[in-house]
Amino acid sequence: MILAALISYPRAIVLGLLQGVSELFPVSSLGHSVILPKLLGWNIHQNDSYFITFLVATHLATALVLVWFFRRDWAAILRGLGRSLRDREIAPDDHHAKLGWLLVVGTIPAGLLGLLLEHKLRSVFASPTSAAIFLTLNGLLLFGAEQLRRRAPQVDEEDDARIAAHVSWGKAFAVGAVQAVALIPGFSRSGATMGGGLLMGLSNKDAARFAFLLATPIIGAAALLKLPQLAGHQGDGVRGPALAGAVCSALTAYLAVRFLMRYFETRTLTPFAVYCFVAGLACTIGFAV
Amino acid sequence: MQNDRLLAAAAVVVGIVLIVVGIVYFAEPAKSLPSFFPGHQAGSAHHHVKHGIAAVCVGLAAFVLAWFRTGPKRGAGATSPPPAP
Repeated sequence: MILAALISYPRAIVLGLLQGVSELFPVSSLGHSVILPKLLGWNIHQNDSYFITFLVATHLATALVLVWFFRRDWAAILRGLGRSLRDREIAPDDHHAKLGWLLVVGTIPAGLLGLLLEHKLRSVFASPTSAAIFLTLNGLLLFGAEQLRRRAPQVDEEDDARIAAHVSWGKAFAVGAVQAVALIPGFSRSGATMGGGLLMGLSNKDAARFAFLLATPIIGAAALLKLPQLAGHQGDGVRGPALAGAVCSALTAYLAVRFLMRYFETRTLTPFAVYCFVAGLACTIGFAV
Repeated sequence: MQNDRLLAAAAVVVGIVLIVVGIVYFAEPAKSLPSFFPGHQAGSAHHHVKHGIAAVCVGLAAFVLAWFRTGPKRGAGATSPPPAP
């Protein structure tokens, strides 16, 4: 079958492993899923329906891993949301309720912009060359965010309490909207939200935590909405490789989020900025010549 | 207090409008949508289910805002509810 040949099991495994890492590292998963097939000479186009169907499975796996990793936070956040709805106010010391509503406020613009712009942006910026150029710009954005960041005050509060105290409604909305740049292959969703978090005065660790919590509903919802494609005729010939890719994606996503939450306790976005800039520039030049 | 009531009333109206818009998206194909709706496309039989879900979700968010704004008097130091999206 042609579809199966296009996304063979080895390719599905490589793309799945890549997806899990690059979705959470601030390096643009979409950009890498466009650039890597070009570098390896694979005849895969990111707007092909079978490839989008494949990505649905890997994204769903990533979202499930994020939910599992932050399961205690999500349970506390959902309880907080319930409390605030019952009491019809957000109590000053109810950090989980505040964080929950911040995530709702941040998710709304991301979801709306995603719905309105996804198809157009993917169509316009589908080429590996444009992805490489935007990956270079992503590096500059990450570097800029680190340079312009406000120093996070050292306080001994709980993680979620620190985030809830620092992030205002307007800032949550703005950071949510900024996630829309990730619709352009080459720009990173987690990079945009982490950068936004740094500019708001969060530490690297808190910015990463907020970015992952904010990304979960969007990644999960986008995958769930497209899940019928995987179950329907568009999934014919892709389901097996998609499952293999999803398992690999889940594995690397778990390792990635675990690594990043420790990494950002002491380190910054700068190495990712350097990687994006160098890799993006090299690919841009390589594709041009 | 007056502003709170005004905002709550506006949020309820916006919520109702958005839920109606969501239902239109669920019920009507792209060709039959009003031309000012995002996703309107002449001749297309596609149903913009995702647009409908988005409209309903934002409508519910507007209701939540109204719910907070019309709640009992907030205690000193309570956090303001989320702004209208």
